[in-house]
Amino acid sequence: MGQIIMHIDVNSAFLSWTAAYEKQMGIERDIRTLPAVIGGNEQSRHGIVLAKSIPAKKFNIQTGMSLMEARRLCPNLLVIPPDYDVYVRASKALRDHLKRYTPDVEVFSIDECFLRFTDISRKEALDLAYKLKDGVKERFGYTINVGISENKLLAKQAGDLEKPDKCHTMFIEEIEEKLWPLPVEELFMVGRRTKVKLNRWGIYTIGELANADYKLISAMLKSHGRLIYNYAWGRDASTFKEGVPMKSVGNSSTLKFDVEDREIAHLVLLSLTEMTAWRLREANMNCRVVSISIKDKDFGFKIKQRKLMYFTDSTRDIYINACCLFDELWDKRPIRALGVHVSDLEFAKIKQINFFQDELSLKNEILDKAIDKIRSKYGDTSVIRGAFANGDLRPILGGYPDDEYPGMRSIL
Amino acid sequence: MMKIVNEPVKVMAVFHTDGKIEPVKFRIEDKVVRIERIMKTYEENIVGNKRIVFVCLHNGKDIFELKYELDTKTWYLFKK
Repeated sequence: MGQIIMHIDVNSAFLSWTAAYEKQMGIERDIRTLPAVIGGNEQSRHGIVLAKSIPAKKFNIQTGMSLMEARRLCPNLLVIPPDYDVYVRASKALRDHLKRYTPDVEVFSIDECFLRFTDISRKEALDLAYKLKDGVKERFGYTINVGISENKLLAKQAGDLEKPDKCHTMFIEEIEEKLWPLPVEELFMVGRRTKVKLNRWGIYTIGELANADYKLISAMLKSHGRLIYNYAWGRDASTFKEGVPMKSVGNSSTLKFDVEDREIAHLVLLSLTEMTAWRLREANMNCRVVSISIKDKDFGFKIKQRKLMYFTDSTRDIYINACCLFDELWDKRPIRALGVHVSDLEFAKIKQINFFQDELSLKNEILDKAIDKIRSKYGDTSVIRGAFANGDLRPILGGYPDDEYPGMRSIL
Repeated sequence: MMKIVNEPVKVMAVFHTDGKIEPVKFRIEDKVVRIERIMKTYEENIVGNKRIVFVCLHNGKDIFELKYELDTKTWYLFKK
């Protein structure tokens, strides 16, 4: 008897949800049985594969690959645009359903979550997992994978073993048999770049990583190396985080063209900040940490953040800091996507008057609130900044709340 | 053989005090179809989209399937 963690993963989530929804709408095809993908809009350069069907997988189509590449692999590929309303509703319904089994549900992303059970034997856990899996299939019309273990890392690795519609266990004594033979890039937190480095040192499987020289991994890959080394042994000290209220707000967007000069990048940051700060004020929160992310045209990804001296919800303050961060971080490579995020949130009810905040900043907070009121009454673009007048850039950028359901997260 | 239609339709229904819903008649292509008897009713919750399904009888032999979508408060003629 002890703690059991289960990892719930919806099999090719966006595609399954679309398929189930189409079925409910009386459309007679089943995209799960056709070579089909869910893909973004190619005109605005969001043209990547978001989810693929199993027949599409047979053509070697990978999630994240461009639609053009995917079409080259499979000429009569069916591409269906995503419908986020359906996905958000499906995700919420799944979460509510899972809460009937345990109050401890941690949302990991739009299609993944962790459940915690205490005082349950391994056998009971496995029975329950099958019940859960079949229950979801019958009730909601799509399949899930359930991974069972003692900690989140192993539960997640178990859930990724064989798909779809399966339950797997991966307890600590099973790692040698189930985890170690896998290629090293299958390990959580080993990305494309780390894979190349590890391969260079002759490490191709997770088992080889686990049995590699700890000092070498630690010296070469620093703290990240120590983390993945421990992961390879199934050690994960992360805690279970249930029902955490909003922790960060942010928006990011892939741009219509690669941005190569600083002024335009700053403008994009401004439009993202407009949205982020607005959502922050809507939630009645103040933030103290501002971070930005840059993805360059080769998909290299960088993040930088800074802590402010005071809590704020003003567009101007967030923007100024985002620009400073950008200037420090940018290596002049053409930019494909930009993001602005704020965290370390606090409710705006009580506010400490701060010595470091200038008068203009205080005035701007009042101005922002006035603009919010005008925008909610007369439309989002009723008042825009002069910098966006007569330009091609959108004055407010980002909509789909991508932080509420992070697509990819690195912290367990 | 029933055909899937899934089109919004105008429906007249009784909403009972105990929360039960009973469709009485609906309009399709300017024709009014009276519901003689509700043969079966159940709730579906595909991908979290709740619909109440009514399998209805008309003229003693014709079967229709009506669905009431809770989120959008819309009636659909699903099958005829």
